[in-house]
Amino acid sequence: MRLGMVIDLKRCMGCYGCQMSCKAENGTPPGVFFARVIKREEGTYPTMRRKLLPVLCNHCTDAPCVKACPTGASHYAENGIVDIDQDMCVGCHACMVACPYNNRYFNDERRNYFGDEGPTPYEMERSERHPVGVVMKCNFCRPRLAEGKDPACVANCPAKARIFGDLADPNSDVSVLIKDRGGYTLHPEAGTSPNVYYLPE
Amino acid sequence: MKDNRYEQLIADLRSDYRPQREWGEGRGILMVIGHFLVGVAGGTWLMASIYGVIYGLMVAYVLAALGALVHLMFLGRPERAIKMMRHVRTSWISRGFVGLTLFLIGGGIYLAITLLGLTGIWRALAVAANVMAGIGTIAIIGYMGFCYTASKAIPFWHSPLHPAIYIAFAIRGGIAALLVIGAASGQLASDWLLQMWTGVTALVTLFFALEIQGALSSGNIAAKWSVRDLLAGRLAFSFYGGTLLLGLIVPVLLLTNSASNSPVVMAILGVASVSGDFFMKLSTVKAGVYVPLFSPARRSHAS
Repeated sequence: MRLGMVIDLKRCMGCYGCQMSCKAENGTPPGVFFARVIKREEGTYPTMRRKLLPVLCNHCTDAPCVKACPTGASHYAENGIVDIDQDMCVGCHACMVACPYNNRYFNDERRNYFGDEGPTPYEMERSERHPVGVVMKCNFCRPRLAEGKDPACVANCPAKARIFGDLADPNSDVSVLIKDRGGYTLHPEAGTSPNVYYLPE
Repeated sequence: MKDNRYEQLIADLRSDYRPQREWGEGRGILMVIGHFLVGVAGGTWLMASIYGVIYGLMVAYVLAALGALVHLMFLGRPERAIKMMRHVRTSWISRGFVGLTLFLIGGGIYLAITLLGLTGIWRALAVAANVMAGIGTIAIIGYMGFCYTASKAIPFWHSPLHPAIYIAFAIRGGIAALLVIGAASGQLASDWLLQMWTGVTALVTLFFALEIQGALSSGNIAAKWSVRDLLAGRLAFSFYGGTLLLGLIVPVLLLTNSASNSPVVMAILGVASVSGDFFMKLSTVKAGVYVPLFSPARRSHAS
């Protein structure tokens, strides 16, 4: 099994639902978004348009972050998921430099959303998942997968723009969509074999 | 709550060319300083071994120890540093860490035995330790360039010349350190050492010119942007002022001066040369930019 995700850019409306559900699920510190929607305006008036690009860790089959990691903290978990063993990470940033997609974050200090008021009980509970001095990233919500659920960003996308499944199965929804709609990956020239695909607008 | 770092990240992601900010900015400057110190240490040990300069070996050891300390300061979890030897199969950082460890252990034993003047069986141990330090020297001179070259995400670094440049810089740093040590101990540098400095400097200049030419002629848009940053953009001041003026023009002028064989001139030449090397490393590290995320050419079908 090779788990992967397809993001339909035709369906995505840039609502940030994936971003916020990811944050709620993972309790990431301020400014850290394992799933993000990048918006950019292209062209000039009157032919300009807004482009959306939802991004997350690409869980590459040939992940440069795994190769660059000196400790083995970045590793392939079950079903091709790329994850970080936080007890092994030394915080050298090598994986962050190696990632062509900028989808890793370094947690350099304990931060909370309400500054001097201190962390909320929710933040206190969730911050235990993110030790200081190590790198963190999306892991396709492994705890949810273990419970038989989809990743939070997939489950909460109101436009159903995110589809999750087994890329190794040619009959799975994700494989069929990629084949029928011409799914592509970001930076194929980097040779990383990403497992997150995009369907054109 | 506003956090400038992440505002910066979002701005970078929206822009065409995202500069890498992990190594070379903020706390990341420690990584560059660490690489610089370790590189000069390796070159100094090599040159001091060739010339048989014990002070050179001592300086090299101190520089390597400082470099290791700076690397530890950079790490988010320095207490776990020993785990960095686990992935030598794929990680150049891991290989470098092993090399630095061999160097510090071997070099330390060799220097201790030599400085204490121990004889007999200790000499055999000193030879073994020196071999160990030699292997470590080769590793620490060689690994740094590969750390950067291994990053396909940053096209400017991903050049086969990058490791060669780092190796040449390490040797140039070693020669410069010997010039300073020679001046401090009141000894004049030999002509051969100065000729070697000239030769290695010419080699470094050639390698760098070829790397720039390669990036401009056959590199992708990100590599070209890096060159633009370096020569006419945000890094031009540090490149022209630090690398070119301090690291090349000042030493060459001193070398061609009639009083170039005085210890003071030699010391200034060495310090200018090694300072230029630091700016060179800093500039090239900061010049690294990623290929744009919003790229038109990005289609590959599922396998």
